[in-house]
Amino acid sequence: MAPTNKSTRRTLIGSGVLLLAGMASVSVQADDARQIIRDRCLACHTESGDRSTPSFSRISEQRKTPEGWQFTINRMINLRGLDISADEKRELIRYLADTQGLAPSEAEPFRYLLEQDTNLVEEGGDPALAETCARCHSAARFGLQRRTTEEWQLLVNFHMGQFPTTEFHSLARDRKWYEIAHDEVAVKLGEQYPLLTPAWDNWKQAVKTDLDGRWRVTGFVPGKGEYDAWMSASKADDGRYNLTLEGQYTDGSPLSGSGKATVYTGYEWRATLDIDGVKMRQVMAADAKGESMKGRMFLAAEREIGGALNAVKDTQAAAVVAVMPSYLRVGESTELTIIGQNLNGDVDLGPGVKVEKLLDRSDDRIHLIAKATGSEGVQSIQVGKAELASGLAVYSELARVDVMPKNAVARIGGLSQMPKVRTAYRAVGYSAGVDGKPGTEDDLRLGYMPASWSIKPADEIAAEDKDAQFAGSIDAAGIFTPGDDGPNPQRKMSANNVGRLTVVANVEEAGKQVAGEGSLIVSVPDFVRRVLD
Amino acid sequence: MKHLKSLNKKAQLINQAVSPEEVEDVVAMQTVVGCTATTDPGWELDPFGGLGSLCQPMESDLYGCADACWWPAQVPDTMHTYPDWGKDVVKANEDWRKLDGIFEDGE
Repeated sequence: MAPTNKSTRRTLIGSGVLLLAGMASVSVQADDARQIIRDRCLACHTESGDRSTPSFSRISEQRKTPEGWQFTINRMINLRGLDISADEKRELIRYLADTQGLAPSEAEPFRYLLEQDTNLVEEGGDPALAETCARCHSAARFGLQRRTTEEWQLLVNFHMGQFPTTEFHSLARDRKWYEIAHDEVAVKLGEQYPLLTPAWDNWKQAVKTDLDGRWRVTGFVPGKGEYDAWMSASKADDGRYNLTLEGQYTDGSPLSGSGKATVYTGYEWRATLDIDGVKMRQVMAADAKGESMKGRMFLAAEREIGGALNAVKDTQAAAVVAVMPSYLRVGESTELTIIGQNLNGDVDLGPGVKVEKLLDRSDDRIHLIAKATGSEGVQSIQVGKAELASGLAVYSELARVDVMPKNAVARIGGLSQMPKVRTAYRAVGYSAGVDGKPGTEDDLRLGYMPASWSIKPADEIAAEDKDAQFAGSIDAAGIFTPGDDGPNPQRKMSANNVGRLTVVANVEEAGKQVAGEGSLIVSVPDFVRRVLD
Repeated sequence: MKHLKSLNKKAQLINQAVSPEEVEDVVAMQTVVGCTATTDPGWELDPFGGLGSLCQPMESDLYGCADACWWPAQVPDTMHTYPDWGKDVVKANEDWRKLDGIFEDGE
């Protein structure tokens, strides 16, 4: 893809990534998709095998997520001169994701990348893969692919040809990088992420459920807060789902939107909605029964700004899906809202918790005042026969606050063609647990808490360079906005408005302040925004 | 290194890096998704986890610093992949407002 300018980009962002793919007919026949491959790809790739079960060189030896296939096709367009219409591209992504996708269990460890929730440090991966592959891009990028060993080796060769400096970086120039990458690392990838797996075989055989119907939705939008809503999904002739979303934020303000969703591989939900004039995307995974989905919703134009999204299908059965807030301090009368569907019967908030007053109640929301007198612990919530396990944390004292994300990168922008990359923060509260010491494993997680936000320099050097003054600011909602890009003559050596900051959340409870800190790097722009970083 | 004396701040920082192994640990594992862990030099962070040894401001020697293909996941690789990136921004330190990115979200 050629670099796009700001005006074209607005249009492109508006049209959305895979959301587009939904334009394809669900009744996409395999024959149609194979014909696209024959028409568009066989100038370079070759076909073998029976015509009804063909194998296409390189293509048939890989499995990927819908975004992975989109990424590949983008690369073919940009680097190899692939000429393909938008409709054909959508159809092909859909076909390849459906027939050569990832099983839910295969994608599960790396969903953060699909959900574009990338303010985290990847840990626990194989050091050889981290040094060889994940030093330029995420580990999730290859963790979300399955290939034969030979295919992984061809990918090494591609990198050597396309990005020859790979061999000269540190962790490469001091060793026989190509031999190690080709003969050892690619083999390891073939073992860890092979083309053929029982998980994929099983998923291919599994009955896939349509995801239409009414969904009880809860989530969080930075700057707006937590919300609960109903989302209705009706399957259209083209196989996509028409969506409407109606609900409210916890402050009572309404939330309303509509859009379209496409489901790939039988469980990968991708949607775009216009919510109160803002284009948002949903990336979720459905469970095997097609009765619940989990994922993230974020701004289409700014994928870093988003929050968790959960959806539970209305199966006519009673269900409790959330309690807001999710914590209750012992001895304090507190307003709680139970979110659910088909709710009827008595409310039971667990041992030692009394419902002092029922404020209002309907079959999908119960608003009440509760007071806990018992001991600390995570309680199950029951309304009639419906139960939410671990729904409410009863605690005596806030002892610890974690800032989420713990590690993040924001990027300067705004004056060049590069937009600023902001960061959305939340504070998570904990009580000290049985041992009375905060920061230990038995700390009781209470949930997200309102906090006051501030930044400070990360260390002496950052203080000397006035990073906190130049690199940006954080607002009351916990959204950090970085500074403008370009050289700044007011800084030493006209440095950019980069910096290393500590983000501080202060949660006040009963006149006591508990603070938590996160690490933020304010960096220069990332000029290459891939479908999957 | 023992026969060389560091003259400036950056050189002193390099001297302070106790052993290559320690640097390697930091480099390989401690970056946020989307950042490069290639930090010799780095795009987001220097080998010490700081900003002191980066090209700053990055516009002052963008093309020399990116070296055509040094951080291809963060700065367009003008060697093979995006040869025309930056062609309208001959002097990045003067024309940096024109700098644009590669956005793959669209078709």
